[in-house]
Parts: sequence; structure tokens; C-alpha cells
Amino acid sequence: MTAIAMPDLSVRLGKLELPYPTLMGSGCYGSGDEFASFADLRKIGAVVLKSVTREPRLGNPTPRLVHVAAGMLNAIGLQNPGIDWYLEHDVPKFAGRPCVLIGSVAGFSIDDYAYVCERLASRDEIAAIEVNISCPNVASEGETFACDPRLTEKVVRAVRSTTDKTLIVKLSPNVTDIAGIARAAEAAGADALAVVNTVRGMAIDVETWRPRLGNVTGGLSGPAIRPIAVLAVYEVARAVKIPIVGQGGIETVSDALEFLLAGASAIGIGTANFTDPRVPERIVAGLSDYLQRRGLSTIAELTGKANVGRLSAAQIEGDAG
Amino acid sequence: MQPALDHNARVHVTSVIDRRVVAPGVISLGFRAPELARAARGGHYVMAVPPTGEAAAVALGIYEADDNRISLLFFLTGKRTRELGALRPGDELSMFGPLGNGFDLTKPPKRATIVAGGVGIASVLLAAEELLRAGSRVELLYGARSSAYLVDAKRFARLGCDVAVSTDDGSAGHHGFVTQLLEQRKPPELLLACGPSPMLRAVAASAARMGVRAQLSLEETFACGVGGCWGCVVPLSAESAQAPSFPPGDRGGSDVVYARICKEGPVFWSDELRW
Ligand SMILES: Cc1cc2nc3c(=O)[nH]c(=O)nc-3n(C[C@H](O)[C@H](O)[C@H](O)COP(=O)(O)OP(=O)(O)OC[C@H]3O[C@@H](n4cnc5c(N)ncnc54)[C@H](O)[C@@H]3O)c2cc1C
Ligand SMILES: Cc1cc2nc3c(=O)[nH]c(=O)nc-3n(C[C@H](O)[C@H](O)[C@H](O)COP(=O)(O)O)c2cc1C
Ligand code: FES
Repeated sequence: MTAIAMPDLSVRLGKLELPYPTLMGSGCYGSGDEFASFADLRKIGAVVLKSVTREPRLGNPTPRLVHVAAGMLNAIGLQNPGIDWYLEHDVPKFAGRPCVLIGSVAGFSIDDYAYVCERLASRDEIAAIEVNISCPNVASEGETFACDPRLTEKVVRAVRSTTDKTLIVKLSPNVTDIAGIARAAEAAGADALAVVNTVRGMAIDVETWRPRLGNVTGGLSGPAIRPIAVLAVYEVARAVKIPIVGQGGIETVSDALEFLLAGASAIGIGTANFTDPRVPERIVAGLSDYLQRRGLSTIAELTGKANVGRLSAAQIEGDAG
Repeated sequence: MQPALDHNARVHVTSVIDRRVVAPGVISLGFRAPELARAARGGHYVMAVPPTGEAAAVALGIYEADDNRISLLFFLTGKRTRELGALRPGDELSMFGPLGNGFDLTKPPKRATIVAGGVGIASVLLAAEELLRAGSRVELLYGARSSAYLVDAKRFARLGCDVAVSTDDGSAGHHGFVTQLLEQRKPPELLLACGPSPMLRAVAASAARMGVRAQLSLEETFACGVGGCWGCVVPLSAESAQAPSFPPGDRGGSDVVYARICKEGPVFWSDELRW
């Protein structure tokens, strides 16, 4: 094998350039500093901050978490202090963080999304905006934006008109035609798509016969949803030209590679941080090794390269070379 | 409450140096972990990563700590603790911590009472040692299912604690709840407790009747263990000093705010809880 220079792991999402392709999933990494003692924030691509709404939200009753086979169910219910408090008290603390911070916006009306996005995007501390149109844990119409292509298009158009910063639209796996929703988001001006948010789920305590979450239902994350998420990335990648942040159960280098091969340009890591905060760093090192071993110089050379046709023996040998 | 020592917080890879089955289905594991051991105070916990790495980390109180070694004491309840319980001396484990705000022992009183229920004993040994060192007289009220589950009761007595025990089945000490022992006592100057939620609620009620404040170490399912996910919350009075510093939001006229047990706790003042 010929020795090559260190592979380039940087990625570009719209105008946003990231040194590494790993984004910490919204709601899983707080505002970054919670993990600062356990993970090297300089070795991650970006932290997607917890979603913020127009009004403060108390969130759902407890219990909010259940560990299940190969993952967990959560029903936090978007607990957050509301955009006013957030801008005044939280955002100033973000200055000087050693990693890129991406804001996340949630809402209950198109007007809410546009308002929160505009105010958040006006701050220098926030490099880009993720639009969470897919939270499964709020009782009202929160999720319908990601379930209907016309609503997706309307909400994305509205936020698009408020900012020039990179807009990442986060899609829900709880739909029949995710490609249609993805096309609607692209048409309305999204710069990138995050695929996917959690899968709706439920767990019941067989002793008490009661649901194990205070909110009855929740969102499933972790390895349990990985094949669902890989398929979603694959379908979305064939439908749009904009980059995809693939996420759902990524824990290892090979998990990350699956998402890239399915069509992702970058990857999101959420639940795996709860098992071991060093996972993101390990994935970055592993991706670098993999590229070198394969004689590739950039991550982009992997994106969408899953070969879903039959490979000839020559092709396989060529790839392995 | 006693703040966690964040600068000492790291991911530690340690190896098991001893393993004891201390009661049916209750395991104690000792680790060589000097940094952790020196930073650990009463009420601190670690997040221990199950060895296959397939399941989320588990929150476990730091039971013992000296210059070099810490130990954890846990019930085999589910998948993750069973994985930990299968470890043998020499096996490696990663954990991060110490985490959380421990018991506030900054003003050691003449007399302190500690109420421990079941495996809650794991979070109070360091506090008892610290109080005894500071010259406090410490009474441990210790309740368990049966005598077999009264882990290390004699050890607390040897340390110098006055120990009174209770069991659900009457096989040792008072037949009934440990909180009934507390009801027979004079109001203590300092009251600490760790155990199952129903016990903690009863301690809070007794404390209120006695006109004292108790420090309760709470439990809830954790995901991140460091304050990043808002999954482990408990309702607190909005005026509580431990309430997270933001407005409680759409609370429909109620006076509560959700605080993270892992970050703002796990030790809370009984009169500030609204659970
Ligand atoms: C700050 C903190 C400190 C803790 N310290 C300790 C400690 O020192 N020792 C210790 O043993 N535990 C301790 N715990 C509790 C421990 O983290 C949980 O019991 C853990 O979730 C068990 O993980 P598991 O995967 O084995 O079981 P899970 O899969 O989470 O649970 C399996 C089943 O057991 C039930 N269950 C869970 N916990 C208990 C329990 N305690 N008693 C009876 N049933 C239960 C669950 O409802 C579920 O049905 C602590 C928790 C916190 C938050
Ligand atoms: C506890 C928890 C809280 C979450 N909160 C949010 C949120 O506020 N906004 C959002 O867009 N996604 C949220 N998510 C979804 C994650 O960002 C991610 O899309 C999902 O968990 C799948 O990835 P994973 O399997 O790597 O965790 C949350 C997930 C978890 C587990
Ligand atoms: S477990 Fe994540 S905030 Fe407490």
C-alpha cells in the first residue's frame, strides 16, 4: 500500500465548514460544556445545542427515560428556558467554546419557527441552525411539520427568509415517504438535512401494567434504530442533492461508515455519548485510519458509495486495494 | 451542597482488584483508581460503562474510597448491572466521575443521623466517615428486606456509629420500616438519607414534622449522567436555591421547576422537593 498524506476529514454543510464530520446530536450534549471534562471538544465537528422554543417549556413529567434492548426511549418534552432567556443568559456563555455550535429551533407554528430562528441566528456564537420539525415528544402539532411535505416546505421557506446561515432541516423517520419530505425541504431552501430524529416507541411495566414513561410514548434512539436510519439516509440521498447528516444509533467506526456509504456527508452521534463520551473521538480516529487504509484522501469519496448492484470480483478486489 | 470536583473528572480505565458477593444478588467491586479515590466525597457517584459497551453507562454511588482504591456496591437489577456483576479481578472497566453534588457536611454537628435503605448504604459510608473524623456522633438507621441484606452493618458500628437496624421480615432489629426508627428519635441536627423513593418521602415527611431539613440523595434513570440530556429530573420548588437558573416556563400556575438529579443533585434538601 502506498503511504498517503493524512486524510482530510473536514466537511461542508452549506456555508458551514467543519473540521470533523461528527456532530453531537441535539438534546444529547447539552450546551457542550457538560461533557467538557470527559471528551475533547476540539476533536468533534460541532455540538447541535438542545432545541429552543419561543416560550419557556417545563417539559414532560417523569420518568422521562427508559433503557430498552439496544437503545433507550426518551420523552423529555423539549424542556428549555425559551428564546428570551436563552439569548440573554445561555448564549453569552457559548463564546470561546473550542467547537462549532449549531443552534436548534423547535416550534408549534410557522411563525414560531421563523421568530426563534431569526433571533437565534442573529448571534455570532451560533454558527448554523438546525430546524427540528420532528420532535416526537410534544403533544400538539409539532411533528406534523415533518409528516407533510407541504407543511415542511412552508416552515422551511419561513425560516429560510430569516437567515443566510446554514440551515439544516431535521427529518422524522415516522413517515411513509421520507424522500418526498426531503425534496420539499430542499426546494424550500434547506442547505442540509439531518436524518433522522428518534423513532416513536413505547414500553410497558408488566408488574404495574403502566407505561414506563410519564408521557406514555417516547422516542427510541440508539443501535435499535440504526437500520431504520441507514435506510432513511439511503432513500433521502437518492432524492436530494444537498448534504445529509446521518444519525441514529451510531456507536462505532463501522456504523459511521454505513451512514456515509448510504449517502451521508457527515454523521450525528447522540445516545452513544451516554455509553462512553470518548466515542466521537474514537470514530474520528477510526475514519482517518479507514481512509488511509483504503487509499482515499477525503470523506466525500465515501459518500453514497454503497454498491447496491452486484459487484464483480474485479470491483471487489479493486475496492479492497 | 458539596460541589463535585469537576477538574478531577475524567474517563478512567481501571481494573477490578477485588469482588465480593455481599448479599444475595448484591456485589461489591473494588478498583485501583487513585485520582477518583482522592476526589470522592460522600454522595458522589460514577458512571460505569458496562464492559460490552452495548448498553448505556450505569450511575453507581462511590461506596469506599481511600488513597488508591474505590469500591462500588450494587444490586443485580437488569442487563447493565448484571454485566458489571460478572466482572472478575483483573478485568478492565471504564468509568467517569466523581460526579454530582454530594452531602453538605461543611458544618459537622454534634449529632447526625443517617437513614439508609437497602443499597442506599452505598452512598453514605464516606459521609459517615467524614462526620466521625470531624468529631460528630453519628447514628445510622439502616433498613433492609431481611438480615441477609444488611450489608456491612457491623462495619459501621466498628467505625464508631451507633447502629439501629430494621428489616421488612423481622429477621433482624425492628420489624418494619426504617423510618419508624427515625420517628422515635429526637430531631437530629443533621439528617442525611439515601434509599428507595418511598423511604425518602417518609424521611421528608418525618423531617417536616420534626421541623428539620433533611438532605436526600435521589435516584432516577440516568442517560448522560452529566446534565446534558434533561432526562433525570425531579420537580423542585421554583424558589429552591438548587433550581436550575432559568424560568420554569409553561407551568400553568404551579410553583415547580424541574431540576436535573445528576447535575443539580443527586442530593437535595427535603423541603425544596415537590415530588
Ligand atoms: C446517583 C445514583 C446512584 C446510584 N447508586 C447505586 C448504587 O450505589 N448501587 C446500586 O445498586 N444502584 C445504584 N443506583 C441505581 C442504578 O443506577 C440502577 O439500579 C440501574 O439502572 C440498574 O441498571 P440495570 O441496567 O442493571 O437495570 P435496568 O435495566 O435499568 O432495570 C431493570 C429493572 O429493574 C428495575 N429496577 C431498577 N433499579 C432497581 C432497584 N434499585 N431496585 C429494584 N428494581 C430496580 C427497573 O425498574 C427495571 O424494571 C444509583 C442511581 C443513581 C441515579
Ligand atoms: C435524551 C434525548 C433528547 C433529545 N432531544 C432532542 C432535541 O431536543 N431536539 C432534536 O432535534 N433531537 C433530539 N433528540 C434526537 C437526537 O438528536 C438524535 O437525532 C436521535 O437520538 C438519534 O440518534 P442517536 O441514536 O445517535 O441518539 C434527542 C435524543 C435523546 C436520546
Ligand atoms: S442524566 Fe442526562 S441530564 Fe441527568
